[in-house]
Amino acid sequence: MAERVAIVAVAQTKYHPNRADVNEGELAYEAIKQVLEETGLTLSDIDSAVTCCQDAWDGRTIASLNLQHVVGAHFGHEFTVAEDGINAAYVAMSQVLSGHHEIVLVESHMKESQGDKSVIENAAFDAILMRQLGLDFTSAAALQARHYMDKYGITPEQCAKAVVRNHGNAKNNPLAQEPMDITVDDVLGSRMLASPIRLLDTKPVSDGACALVMTTEEKAKKLTKKPVWIVGVSNCYETHYLGDRELADSDALVKAAKKAYSMAGINDPLSQIDVAEISTEYSYQEPLWMEGLGFCGRGEGGKLVDSRTIEMGGKLPVNPSGGVLPGNPNGVAGMARVAEAVLQLRGEAGDRQVKGAKVALAHGYTGICGQHQAVMILANM
Amino acid sequence: MAEGSPTKKPEQPEYIRIKFDLPRPYHWSTGRYLGKLYAEAKENKRLMANRCPKCKEIRVHAPTPVCPKCKVDMGWDWVELPQTGTVFQYTYQVYPLWDPHEGRRCSNPHPPAIILLDNGVYLRHLLEETDTKKLKEGMRVQAVWEEDYDKRGQGFQDILYFRTIEE
Repeated sequence: MAERVAIVAVAQTKYHPNRADVNEGELAYEAIKQVLEETGLTLSDIDSAVTCCQDAWDGRTIASLNLQHVVGAHFGHEFTVAEDGINAAYVAMSQVLSGHHEIVLVESHMKESQGDKSVIENAAFDAILMRQLGLDFTSAAALQARHYMDKYGITPEQCAKAVVRNHGNAKNNPLAQEPMDITVDDVLGSRMLASPIRLLDTKPVSDGACALVMTTEEKAKKLTKKPVWIVGVSNCYETHYLGDRELADSDALVKAAKKAYSMAGINDPLSQIDVAEISTEYSYQEPLWMEGLGFCGRGEGGKLVDSRTIEMGGKLPVNPSGGVLPGNPNGVAGMARVAEAVLQLRGEAGDRQVKGAKVALAHGYTGICGQHQAVMILANM
Repeated sequence: MAEGSPTKKPEQPEYIRIKFDLPRPYHWSTGRYLGKLYAEAKENKRLMANRCPKCKEIRVHAPTPVCPKCKVDMGWDWVELPQTGTVFQYTYQVYPLWDPHEGRRCSNPHPPAIILLDNGVYLRHLLEETDTKKLKEGMRVQAVWEEDYDKRGQGFQDILYFRTIEE
């Protein structure tokens, strides 16, 4: 990239099953206040705000209605993007690179508790051709899970191991919603939702918000002693129509990762990346997305989950924070991965710190069976 | 009728009809700030607004954690609004508006107005007076509250409308 763009502060709220005590704006402000305090900035210093929220989830057109004041955008500059906050971070980076804005506030929030998840997800399907099938994201994910597991011989035990590791890692994350000591048998014995996906194979309903501040290299050095640089980023979409996709191979993620790696000069991700935070709402997605990210070959994701490689202390720890499975809202999940990557690279990840991490990967996705995939590579030097 | 006449009905295209009838419930939170307004209206028939510590401006629609103008934290400074004022602007509609509670158009006879309250802040609300000949800017008005406690809890709508008063 021509210039370097830095993230100078990140914050997340604690993730919670039902924040009935606050509206979306107040929830977002909890995270925003923290990044302002950390950098010494005020909302008047913000040149532009990029927010991420979704109309169907917030239950109104122009979901960002409650945000304008808390991002300082009254008579100011604001963009709202949908899908995941990792897209908001991408847009913010472009704004800084354009030279048009120096200090950009990025925010994403979601109160999944305020709507009916299954109904809202059904509305995300093409109205004429697919909505009438009655699917939601979980039933669609079950189709993908079954196909992927059949094609490559991935076992339910391997998927369950991903759940056990993520919930276990979450015990080191004070912001995690459901840190838990569970076993593979607990997962395999939990209630079936849509075969092969069981209750513990997926995440709970979650409310939360994430904020970060992005700026130029020059400004970053004034705002923090520990800037984190975006060294690679990409996103990629594949078709919405499930019948037209090879669901067992996430080719959109393969493409997104390749582009981000080439920007960052990465050709061997397993060796060159120190820590990865990836978004997995369903357990089978961890091995599948790791294949897409090139951490292993196609069909080898199950073996990678079995190995110690991705555990804390392994060659490439995946989701030291616990990731999405212990509870992160849609729309925030991917941006929370960016925030966690930043904490790792600043050495501020507390008990979940990967020692000496220099290069981190953050992954986000949205849509049915991971139609949209985004990858961001960050570094601290 | 001549071709292209505005009163001529255009030819109807052939539609494929798909019925969607899925309820989409939401549980919105008022949050702390708007929650204060709702609680004071329901419990005490008082209209509350929060005030910026810097510019001292009062935020009527609606209470907010950050002053949009000064971009500073509002803290927790509340003022009670007076319940009398002067009609600043009004309109009346001759076509029926949406009744969002019932999903159909309805005829609301009460003219919407912007009322300059006696402490100098503007409030959007409705007027009781439906006789358009009697409506005028500068009319003195007073809030009329829903007296049934169980029916209150609708925030600004706990005031039914503003009634014309003689002074």
